[in-house]
Amino acid sequence: MLEVKRVGKVYEGKVAYRALTDIDLSIEDGEFVAIMGPSGSGKTTLLNMVATIDEPTTGEITIGGQNPHRLKKNELAKFRRRELGFVFQDFNLLHTLTVEENIVLPLTLDGKNVKEMKEKARTVAEKLGIAGIMGKRTFEISGGQAQRAAVARAIIHHPKLLLADEPTGNLDSKSSKDVMELLAALNKNDKMTTLLVTHEAQAASYADRVVFIRDGKLYSEIYRGDSQKGFFQQIIDTLSLLGGNDHDFSSVRL
Amino acid sequence: MTFRQFAFNNVFRNKRLYAAYFLSSLFTVMVFFTFAIFAFHPSFQNSDMNKNVMFGLTVAGGIIYVFSFFFVLYSMSAFLQSRKKEFGLLMIQGMSTQQIRLMVFMENMVIGLFATISGILLGLVFAKLILLLAENVLIFEESLHFYWPLSAVLITFVSFILLFLFISLFVSFILRTRKLVDLIKGDKKPKDEPKASMLLSILAVLLLLGGYGTALYVKGMSVIVAMVPVIVVVIIGTYLLFSQLNVFIIRRLKRNESLFWRNTNMILFSDLAFRMKDNARSFFMVAIISTVAFSAIGALYGTHSYLTKAIVQANPFTYSYHPYDQTENIQKNVQYAKNTIAQNGIDAKQLDMTEMYLPFADKPDGILVLNAKDYNKAAKLLGKKQLDLQAGEAVIAKQSIANLNQNDHADKWMQQSITLTDGKTVKPSRQVEADAYPNVDSYMIVAEETYKKLPKPLKVKHHFVWIASEKNKPEQLRKAGELLQEHYEPGAFFSTDFVLYEIEKGYGPILFIGLFIGIVFFVSAGSFLYFRLFTDLAEDKTKFQAIAKMGLTVPEMKKIVNRQTALLFFAPMAVALIHGAIALTSLSRMFSYNLVRESAMVLTSFLVIQIIYYLIVRFFYVKQIKEVIE
Ligand SMILES: Nc1ncnc2c1ncn2[C@@H]1O[C@H](COP(=O)(O)OP(=O)(O)OP(=O)(O)O)[C@@H](O)[C@H]1O
Ligand SMILES: [Mg+2]
Repeated sequence: MLEVKRVGKVYEGKVAYRALTDIDLSIEDGEFVAIMGPSGSGKTTLLNMVATIDEPTTGEITIGGQNPHRLKKNELAKFRRRELGFVFQDFNLLHTLTVEENIVLPLTLDGKNVKEMKEKARTVAEKLGIAGIMGKRTFEISGGQAQRAAVARAIIHHPKLLLADEPTGNLDSKSSKDVMELLAALNKNDKMTTLLVTHEAQAASYADRVVFIRDGKLYSEIYRGDSQKGFFQQIIDTLSLLGGNDHDFSSVRL
Repeated sequence: MTFRQFAFNNVFRNKRLYAAYFLSSLFTVMVFFTFAIFAFHPSFQNSDMNKNVMFGLTVAGGIIYVFSFFFVLYSMSAFLQSRKKEFGLLMIQGMSTQQIRLMVFMENMVIGLFATISGILLGLVFAKLILLLAENVLIFEESLHFYWPLSAVLITFVSFILLFLFISLFVSFILRTRKLVDLIKGDKKPKDEPKASMLLSILAVLLLLGGYGTALYVKGMSVIVAMVPVIVVVIIGTYLLFSQLNVFIIRRLKRNESLFWRNTNMILFSDLAFRMKDNARSFFMVAIISTVAFSAIGALYGTHSYLTKAIVQANPFTYSYHPYDQTENIQKNVQYAKNTIAQNGIDAKQLDMTEMYLPFADKPDGILVLNAKDYNKAAKLLGKKQLDLQAGEAVIAKQSIANLNQNDHADKWMQQSITLTDGKTVKPSRQVEADAYPNVDSYMIVAEETYKKLPKPLKVKHHFVWIASEKNKPEQLRKAGELLQEHYEPGAFFSTDFVLYEIEKGYGPILFIGLFIGIVFFVSAGSFLYFRLFTDLAEDKTKFQAIAKMGLTVPEMKKIVNRQTALLFFAPMAVALIHGAIALTSLSRMFSYNLVRESAMVLTSFLVIQIIYYLIVRFFYVKQIKEVIE
């Protein structure tokens, strides 16, 4: 489904900064992968490139056999609106729209029927517990609500690939669990391939596999066995190993 | 929510952002429309108005239209710049470039349509005012009554719908989407600083000094030749000045930590640095546009006062009659003038200024010699200084008008002497300023006894002048003047009041057009600044909100905003004032006529308007920011 081949990223600037080096990552159709790593290790950078927001300096990314960076503009737009769902670390809801309007935005772009859109929006909103705030504007809702609205917007069109950057960063453990369970269910039932960046071992433990990166390089990866509990413990162990000789570890919230 | 609804909501829930763009479009339409009302005024269209004036009106309309085009284009691209992030977000949700274009296009057409309609409506209100103003300030044959300006409405509507259509198409093409990251991080990323180089800074100074130097050095008609190169050089110099100086000063300030880190300075300067490129560009634009306004208005006003003053200076008398026929008919002819003047109820004193032309040196038609008694009579009636000549004295009457023609013989004539009928010779003893009796060349005034002993003249001409008392009404003077000027051979009779009136009448519309365009430019420069400021409003709001949480007080915020705004308003203004002053000085050197008073008046009025404008804009800006931090 997703192939990341020897991808590197250099941020140009006064001092060029190498954020990623030779990343190889392959994700199967329907797989649920979490990416973890210390702050500043390059997680958002990687996700942005997969999401076609940014372009890799070296290497190649293919999604479903296509390299989206090579698509024509209009095809790319269609590709984004149908195949991709994206949750930003800082939500990025449009402040001119209500919560509901924000959620249905990808559908309106595709010229869907209004009734159908309303119906879909209601379903996801209920699942995410934000049905009560659908009419509000983005500045009238809490950070956690905004985050759930962003998740709802990312999944409303059942994308083939969901890319989520810290979708539970602002949530309490209950809401966090709800969101993760919803993502896991969508992954299982709808075969929505999911790539998730998170700092929380709890959230990561819903994944089939956790990939660790450090200083812009792949560090290790672990697969989930039968039990989520055992997986959670494994993740904690790797994280402490990862941070053992890294002072950045202090910023990793557990 | 359909796509159309989405676009609609986007506009209506984001009113503030759109308001600035809408208002500047509306303003542009209004200006054009008001001008059109004037240009299509029936009393202009039907009267046998000067062809040149009609042509001038058309050209002026064209200039305003072209200017509107660029102004709207600029406003729109500033507006789109501030929405980069929004476009980025929409694209990541899968909006295609075409959809964004369509959205921008639709928005623009809606805004354009409303701006055109409201601009016309507002223009109708203003038109009444402007016509009233025009009628009172300027002299027109017919009164400029208010009328139902159908053709102006049509022209404005069609022109602006076309303009918006074209700009909408054009802009949706320049809205080429760059990398998404750039869009999404768009407003967070500082714009690149313009490069500051020693070489360019020096070049800026050299260009400006060179331009100014040339402008101040050339004289007379060479001013026209030097004009274009000087303008080009100064424009380039100005651009470099702003882009280099900005960078230079701010770098310097930032390096000085004891200054940069002192209370609110850091916020102020870091902001200036962040917006350096935008600021440099707007400073440049505003400076140039204002200069155009100052120079246009100053030049028209200066030319006007030059024309009128020069005429009054050359013709201090109410009426002046130079009969071509100097034979015995002369008394009969003068009698006619006398009668006409009396019949019109004018109280005027008549003088016969006898001009005697004596053979003198190498001048074939001789030198004009005037009796001191005659001169003093005229001077007394005109309230000018009388000459006090010793018995037997002759003086040269220096002429400031002659100076203009640069064929003043005053110095040469000081060397010559005249042999009188009693065998004695008389030589001019000194030069005097004699403005009671102007002449194209300097001439001689001799004391009465000497005058009687002058040798046989080449010719004698009687020149009759009338000096009306203060209590006469100008209309009467004009009316009699017109009658007489038409009665006599062309050029023989001159009525100062009538000629001035005719000049004002011809010049009125030109002055009006000039003033109008000047004001349009000046007001646009203001809206430019307004726009510049309000594009950053949202950003400033978040910024001040954040800093307020750390303990920034309202007075401190005001201080920062005041300085920021003051710099924005007065840095380009200062440059424009200097440019304008130089341009007007250069103009006065072309005329060899002192325009200091006129220039000072024009420039000061602009400065005052700008200060008022600054205070208003600042008030609203501070108010909006106060809203979010309190
Ligand atoms: N536009 C940019 N220009 C230059 N450097 C950048 C840019 N964006 C990110 N970086 C640098 O690249 C590195 C990786 O950044 P990235 O945002 O991918 O980190 P992250 O792993 O998502 O961190 P976090 O967990 O804190 O979100 C960081 O060191 C950051 O400073
Ligand atoms: Mg990140």
